[in-house]
This record gives sequence, C-alpha cells and structure tokens, in this order.
Amino acid sequence: MTPLLQVILVVLGAPLLVGMMRQVRARLEGRAGAGVLQPWRDLRKLVRKQPITPDGTGWVFRMAPLVLAATALVAAAAVPLVSTESMAGVSDLFAVVALLALGSVTLALGGLDTGTAFGGMGASREMTVLALVEPTILVSVFALSVRADSTDLGAIVGYTAEQPLTVVSPVSLLAAAALAIVTIAETGRIPVDNPATHLELTMIHEAMILEYAGPDLALIEWASAARLSVLLGLLASLFAPWGIVTAGAGVVAVLVAMVVLVVKVAVLGALLAAGEVFMAKLRLFRIPELLAGSFVMALLAVAASFFLA
Amino acid sequence: MYVQALNLACGAFLLAGVLVLWRRDLAAIVWLFAFQGLALGAMVVVLGADQGSVELVLVGIGVGALRAGLLPYLMRRALVSSGEARETQPLVNVATSLLVVAVLAMLAYAVSQPLVRLAPSPATQAVPVALTVLLVGFFVLVTRRRALSQVVGFLLMDNAITATAFLTTSGVPLVVELGVSLDVLLAVLVLQVLTTRMRAAFGGTDLDELRELHD
Amino acid sequence: MTGSLFVAALAVCVVTTVAALVVPSWLRSAVTGWGTAGGGALGVAAGASTLAGGRWAAWLPEVLPLAGVRLSLDPLGGVFVAVTGGVAVCAGIYAVGYARESGRVVQATLPLFVASMLLVPAAATVSTLLVGWELMALTSLLLVLAEHAHRAEVGRAGLWYAVMTHLGFVAILAGLAFFAAGAGGEAFDQLRGATLSPAARNVVFLATLAGFASKAGIVPLHVWLPRAHPEAPSHVSALMSAAMVNLGVYGIARVGLDLLGGGPQWWWLVVLGVGALSALFGILQAAVSTDLKRLLGYSTTENMGLVLVGVGAAGFFGPGSALAALALTAAVLHVVNHAGFKTLLFLSAGSVLRATGTRDLDALGGLRSRMPYTTVLFAIGALCASALPPGNGFVSEWLLLQSLIHALPSSGVAGAITMPLAVGVIALSAGLAVATFVKAFGVGFLARPRGSGAESATESPPSMLAGMGTAAACCALLALAPAAVLPGLSAILPGAPAVSGQVALRLNGVLGTISPVLIAGSLVLAVAALLAVLRLISTRRVRRAARLWDCGAGPMSARMEYTATSFAEPLQRVFDDVLAPESDVDVTPVRESAYLVERVRFQARIPDRIEHRLYEPVLAGLKAVGRSARVLANGSVHRYLAYGFYALTGALIVLAVLR
Repeated sequence: MTPLLQVILVVLGAPLLVGMMRQVRARLEGRAGAGVLQPWRDLRKLVRKQPITPDGTGWVFRMAPLVLAATALVAAAAVPLVSTESMAGVSDLFAVVALLALGSVTLALGGLDTGTAFGGMGASREMTVLALVEPTILVSVFALSVRADSTDLGAIVGYTAEQPLTVVSPVSLLAAAALAIVTIAETGRIPVDNPATHLELTMIHEAMILEYAGPDLALIEWASAARLSVLLGLLASLFAPWGIVTAGAGVVAVLVAMVVLVVKVAVLGALLAAGEVFMAKLRLFRIPELLAGSFVMALLAVAASFFLA
Repeated sequence: MYVQALNLACGAFLLAGVLVLWRRDLAAIVWLFAFQGLALGAMVVVLGADQGSVELVLVGIGVGALRAGLLPYLMRRALVSSGEARETQPLVNVATSLLVVAVLAMLAYAVSQPLVRLAPSPATQAVPVALTVLLVGFFVLVTRRRALSQVVGFLLMDNAITATAFLTTSGVPLVVELGVSLDVLLAVLVLQVLTTRMRAAFGGTDLDELRELHD
Repeated sequence: MTGSLFVAALAVCVVTTVAALVVPSWLRSAVTGWGTAGGGALGVAAGASTLAGGRWAAWLPEVLPLAGVRLSLDPLGGVFVAVTGGVAVCAGIYAVGYARESGRVVQATLPLFVASMLLVPAAATVSTLLVGWELMALTSLLLVLAEHAHRAEVGRAGLWYAVMTHLGFVAILAGLAFFAAGAGGEAFDQLRGATLSPAARNVVFLATLAGFASKAGIVPLHVWLPRAHPEAPSHVSALMSAAMVNLGVYGIARVGLDLLGGGPQWWWLVVLGVGALSALFGILQAAVSTDLKRLLGYSTTENMGLVLVGVGAAGFFGPGSALAALALTAAVLHVVNHAGFKTLLFLSAGSVLRATGTRDLDALGGLRSRMPYTTVLFAIGALCASALPPGNGFVSEWLLLQSLIHALPSSGVAGAITMPLAVGVIALSAGLAVATFVKAFGVGFLARPRGSGAESATESPPSMLAGMGTAAACCALLALAPAAVLPGLSAILPGAPAVSGQVALRLNGVLGTISPVLIAGSLVLAVAALLAVLRLISTRRVRRAARLWDCGAGPMSARMEYTATSFAEPLQRVFDDVLAPESDVDVTPVRESAYLVERVRFQARIPDRIEHRLYEPVLAGLKAVGRSARVLANGSVHRYLAYGFYALTGALIVLAVLR
C-alpha cells in the first residue's frame, strides 16, 4: 500500500519541490520569484501543446521520455520514503541505482537520436558523469550495507531507524557526504551542471533535451523533478530516518510519516538551493576531481566501517 | 558514547587530511589544517575525559589551541604576505592524488593491523587513521609545489605522529609534547623565513626553482 | 542419454565438415549452417542433461596412440558444453545467410571448430585436453584467416593470434605435464588425488593460469583478442568471443578449483587482481574505440575480467562457504549471460558490416530506419551488455557484487582491502560499459548516416535475423527468468544452491533478494500508465514534423553530427594518463605566405598501451637478437655441419660429466 502512497506523493510533490527551490533561490538573489506553483503551470502549458517529431528522429527519441519517467515512477515506489516496508525484489539499492541509470541512458539515446551537435554533446557528457559517479554510489552502498548486512533499502533504513546513534558515526557521515555529491551530480545541479543554463559550453542535461517540446518535454521536466525528490528523499531516509513507519503501522502513523517526509525533503531542497546561490558551476573537466573526492570519501566510509569497528 | 565521540574525532581528523589534497586554494588548505588541529585536540580531550585525567584534557586543549590557533595564524600571515593564493599545478593531479590516498588508506590499514592486535581497544583501532594521515602528509610533501603546502604537509605528518602517540599510549608526557610542538613551531618559523627569502630571490615559492641553486 | 547426445553432437559436426567439402557451392552454406546449428543444439541438450544430473564417461584407447582419449561430462564441463552449443546454434543459423561467399575450406572448418570446443570441457585426461585445445586453436586460426585475401590486416591479426595462442599452449602443456609427472598419471582422477609439494603446486597453477588467461583475453595477455576478433568473419567472432574465450575460464576453474582443489589465498588474489585489471582496461579501451567489432572485442576482455573476479573471489573464500558458492554461481552465470549478449552483438555487428561494408562507427548512423530489425536486436544486446535492468548482465553483476559485499566480516585483512576496491572497479567498469554501449548504439544506429555505406544499407536476409533473434530470445529468457538456469549452475558445487526462488531470486546464507521479472514488469506497467495518462490529458495528439534547431544557420548536414570519437572525447580526457592518446597536427601554409593556412591535418590514435609498452620492446629485442644471429649463418655448408658436430659432442661431454 505504501509504495502507491509514495508514488502519489512524488507525482504531486516533485514539481512543487522544484518550485520551492526556485523560489528560495529567487528570494536569496533578491528577486520576487514566480511562486511555488509555477512548475505545475509550466507542465499544464506543455501538455496542452502539440507533440512534435523533429526531422530525422525515430522511435528512440519518442520512447526516451516515457522510459525516463517510468524509471522515476518505479524508483519512487521502490525506495522506502514513508515506510520501511518496500517492494521486495526491487528495493535493492543496486537495482534502484541501475534503474535511475537506465533513465539517464534512454534520455542520452534520445539526445543522440536527434543527430544535432547539442544532443550528442549532452549525451556524451551525461554518460561521462554517469560512468564516474557509479563507483562512488556502489562503494557507499557497500559502506552502508555493512552494518545492516544487506543492500536492501528497507533493511538499511530499518536498521538505522532502530539504532539512531549510528547516524553520527564516521561511516555514515562520510557516506552521506559522498552520496550528497553523487545526488548533485545525478540530478544535474550546481556545481556539476546548471539546470538554468542554455549556453552550449556548459550544458549537460539541457543539451540532451533541446529538441523536446510539448508533452514530451513535460514528461522529462516532471521526471527530472521526480528523480530529484526521490534521491533527496532517499538521502533523508538513509541518514535521518526519523518518523518512518515500519510494516503494519496505522493510518495516522502513515499520515504523520508523510508529513515528516515532506518536511525533510523540503529542508534538504532548500539547503541545496541556498547552497547553489553561493556556488559557481565547475568546469567540465574539474568534475572528475569532485567525483574522485566523493569516491575517496565513500572508500574511507567502507574503511572506517572496519578501521573503527 | 565515548567510542562514538572518539570515532567522530578520528573521522574528522582523517577527512581534513584528505581534503587538503582536494583543495587548491591555499587559504582553504590552512582552514582545513586548523580544522584538523581542532579534531586532534578533541580526540585528546575525549581520551582524557574517558580516563578521567584532567591533565590529559588540559593537554588536549593546549594541543588544539596550538594546532588550530597559533600555527594557522602564522601560516595565514605568511600566506597574505606571499600573495599566492593557489596551488596551481601539483606534480600529481588532484584526481589521481585522491585515488592514491585511497590506496594509502588501505595500506595503512594493512600495516597497522599487527599493532592493533597487540592491545585492541577503540583507541588503538584508530591508529590506521593516524597512519593514513601520516602518509597523506608525506604525499603532500612529495607532490605539492608551494612552500606553504609543503609546510602543511609537514604539519600533517606531525599531527599524525601526535595522534598516534596519544592513541597508543594514552598520552605522552607533557614535556615531550611541549618539546615536539616547539620543534614544529621552530620549523614553521624557519620555513616562513625561507619563503620570505625565496620570494625575495625568485619572486615565488615554487620549490622546484630551488634547483637553480644546484650549480 | 547424456553420452549419446554428446556423441551425436560431435558426430553431426564431423559429418557436416565432410558434407561441406563435397556438396555444391550453392548448397554449402545451408548445409554447414544447419549442420553446425544441429550439432550445437545437441550440445545444449547434452550439457543440460549433465546439469540435470546425467553423468557420462568414455574411454577410447585406440583413437590416440599411447594415451587414448578419455572423455567425461560433469556439471562444470556441462555448463561450458551447453554454452558452446547455444552459441553454435545462433552462429550456425546466421551463417546460412552470412557465409554464402566464404570459401569451401573456411565453411568446412566451422563445424570442426565447434566440435573441438565441445571436446575441451569434456576431456578427462591431460592429453585429450591438449589435443582438443590445439585442434581448437588451429581451426579458429583458419577461420580468422578466412578473409586474408581481401585485407592485409587479417594476416597480421592471424600472426598475432597464432603466436599468442601457441605460447599459451606451451604454458598449459608445461604446467599440466609437470602436474602429470608429479601425480604419476595423466587422468584427471589421478591428478585430483595427487600430493604435490606446495612449490610444485604453485608452478602448476601459475603456468596454467598464464596459458588459460591468454585464451580468455586477460590483460596483459589480451593483445591478440582486439586484433583477431574484428578481422574474423562475424559468426566466427561470435563463436570465439562468446564460446572460445570461456574455455580459458573453464581451464582456470578446472585446474585451480577442481584438480588442485583450491590453494593458498594469494593464488586467488592474483586471479581477482588480473580480473579486475582486465575489466577496467578492457572497458576503457572499448569506451574510446571507434571500430565496432574492436569495441566488442575489448568488451569481451572486460567481461572475462569480471568472470575472473568472481572465480578469484570463490577461490579466495575457500570451497564450502556459502559466499564461494555465490561468487562461483555469479561468475558462471556471467559466462552464460556474456555468451548470450556477445553472440547477439557480434552477429548484429556482422549484419551491419554486410549492409554497410564498414565497421567504423564514425561512418555509421541512421540504420534505425534502414535496418529496423538489426537495430532492435543490437539495442537488446547493448542493454544486456551495459548491465542495466531489465538486461541479463544486470542479474549476474548483481550476484557478483552481493558476493563481494558480504565478504567483509569473514575474510580478514586481505579481504577487507580487496573487496571494496573490487567493488569500486566493478562499478567503474559497469559505468564505462554503459557509456560504451550508448556510444555503440547511439552513434552506430541512431541519427543520420555519416557515410555512404550507411546511407545505402539494407536489412539482412531472414536467416541472419533468425540467428540473431535466437540469441536475443536467449538473452530475454536469461534476463527475465534466470531461475530457469540457476539450479543447473549451482550443481557445479556440492552443497546447497547459492540462489533460490522462482520470481524473486533469494540468496542463501546471506541477505539479498532481487526480482528481474518484477523490475521489468513494473517498468512496463509504469510506461503503460504514463501513456494512458498522456492520452487522457493531452488535447492535441497528432504529431507534427518540425525542423531541428540549427541556430538559424540552415539545415544541418550529417558532418555536423557527433561522432564516436567526439562522444568518447570527455572520457579520453579524463583518463588521459591511462590511455596516453597520440595526436598529430600538421599545418600546411600556402606557398605565398606562412600566415595563410592551406590545409590542416589532424590525426588522433589511441594505441593499446600495454601492447605499446610491453610487447613492442620485447619484439624489438627479439628482432635484434635475430639480426645478430644472422652472423651465424653465412651460407657455408661446412659451418652448418660444424654446428651439428659441436652440438653432438657438446651433448656427449655434458652426459659424460654428469654421469
């Protein structure tokens, strides 16, 4: 039951999260901002437009937004956000990571299918970042799974919820830092990618989706927002699992857990947005340094789990 | 609770050491060094609190003040007067150095296992952390060009040795610690004089330029 | 039952070879193709019945002089027999349409090659194994050289292959002969019971490891692989890359785990280390490669590396532990999965090569509309190879990661250091594999054609598509229902199976559950739901064609597209220190003024660094030795006779002194 609740929450809440983050940025930069609801208005506008097939594109281009959004939906159902009771067989951390990677891959193929230099450039950069992010993710998963002795997300979150003191150990702090950097890289935020840019020298995500319009673009925009919310929610569940209900909880507990989740994700989003105001985007070829740093942190997290055990 | 606090201090100690390799900004490196000094001080205080030794707690506070206060202050002064803000071209690039650190950490862990097995306790189990920082410091000395980074590398090694001493023996005599710290202070002053002279002679503190003195 | 199936498989292959030599040329490719496929199918059946519990042994003293041939099928061999058979089925069906133009000898050799690969895992004595191994080497060499008349590179590739494979053979021969001498007999049963000194065991293991690893394309002995696999005809590439290299892994597992019965941990750390190195190096080279088949060849090195990581981990954990069973199951499942998707990919690459005449990704593109079936089939293969769900590669890599991750508490310092690094290496190679196959598929098949070959491409004949389709069906089965093969694979090791469950795979001994069907099903469900919602809420459904965004500069030409080289450029820059690419800019000014440029020539090449650094100095040294040895041969007959005389007397003197 809770997977369905999570999906509904993510479907409705993801654009609001993006709207809230834009609003925070606007206020910090001294602008009025368009309001928290603006992403939803954008989506409504895009859905009403006519779908477009750019010359020379084919089924890969048309399928990409659907698959991307589908992976985001499945991830939203699989990750324990509200309850540790999760979809057995999908909620494995490796599976979730691979699912999100599948989404990026289809989008990159969609970008390549256009045959424009923008599409190719975006796809190439996105794949480079993806390849470099992978070791960090899996090694931090390793670090987190050592205590719970499982890579199942439900088990890891459940273990942390039972023993909240483990959150303030070097293992989890290092892993949290590594995963935070990875989340930023995966969702294309500053300093890895700038979601607001349309300058060809710096674009990654935006370059891939340059040819999309109408409902296709709406799907992609929604899916990016959903991926961001799922990943932030996952971070919150892994490192601040307070309020999450276990299997068989009552309706009230589930409602409370949902509210707590919304608050946690909103706080994380606001922090991320506030951080972006004070940061500049890194040069593309400085990103490997950032990711190497996060990899070292992940490895040190594993090391700490037996250095200091 | 004691183990948790000790582990946290050790984690911060290690992280600060690793981050020194990551940042190119010399001012940030000095900040990181100060942070590491703080972590070291905290580590000693935690050890002291656990053993109920007021003396050790005071030593910890002293170590923290020296490493997080005085030394960074001196370095910052040297930095301001040198006018060099960045470690532009380390001999080994940043991404590779970070991967090297990963290997060094594993090496330190493997090497210090016999030592840990002698007297397994939360404190001795953190010895690999100190050893890693020692190796990182050495690596900084080998690969970084700016004189200030070299000083930091040297001080990282010194921090690591101090940490090892406290972790394994639960406290070196105060006199020894004072003596070592004075040595370090002296070294920093010497290096500061050296950097001033180098800048006067060469207009920069790239140590590779010392090669010109060769013939 | 098992035995008769296996003998029938061999017999069908041999009969096909004879038939291929006599039937008229218009019928030849059909006869060899279907014959090979039939032999392969019987091989699959024999392997499957072995895994289901059938055992078979045969002793044919009169076939080989002195030693005779001794064959037996056990589960470990059965897996490899079945995999070889499966690849042969796909390649055989494919060859009906693909190999029509090939010569008589080449076609006749194909079934013989399959037969030799079926023979190797069934051999039960050292001499039988070596005969099968050499037969396999020779037949595959003939097949690699099939197109030597058309392209000069084929000859060079053949030379590399011949030399490397025979050096490997010498290593295996030396190792196993030493082993047999120590054990006092050459039958595997005698070898199992042998008691050798630790030093002797080390020698045997390391010698055979070198030999078998060279066949498996493991770094640094891989140099023949990215040369030979691209130059062979594509169905042969598939057989070599998906079936033959596996036998290297088989050899390591057979000698190390079975005959020597495990060993000190450092053996397996060496295996794990070379495996990890191969995985990383292979996929990195593949990521920057622009030749489609060379890319697939390097990816084979990567996958064999991953398999060896699993085998090494299994040996490291020691026989009998649940983790060892899990690691070995993961490794063998990856062998099976790799065979599936690599067959599919090589056959699709062959289909592209037939249609366009080029393997250069920079000249491909736009095949999506011209070769729709090949495109879809390649896409399936690429999805599987990049280890993403719902592909089959994901399942085996997941199992492998699980076995490594659960290793910590039990495996001491060495394990505590090795396992996190191994996980990092696997992760990086998986990430690079994703980039590699996005490049191969996205640049090779999507967008618009970059060359004239791709522009005039047409879809391949049905028999080729059928061969590829069979491979794709196998991949789909392995991806969605790995439970269908897993019980068979776990028969390799005694004890409880490492993985159980039908819909959701559950690990035994450690926590871990995954359900490939559920993942695929929920993805399909989500796509369907999204389509339904879009239908419901969007008001205008007819798609409108529109121009691409060209910055207002007029329509874009195919030359403005991203190529494979440009796609890999960021990766090449990131891994600059490892890959050491060579580039060369040559500016020619016009005659009148040095400031006006007439022509700029840019050339970039990424050589195989190991070949460059390790092999070229050795080859240069050998050449120098050879040149200086020329002094010894000045044409004088007396001199040559004198050499013989000196050698004879020298030998006699040594004998006299030693006595």
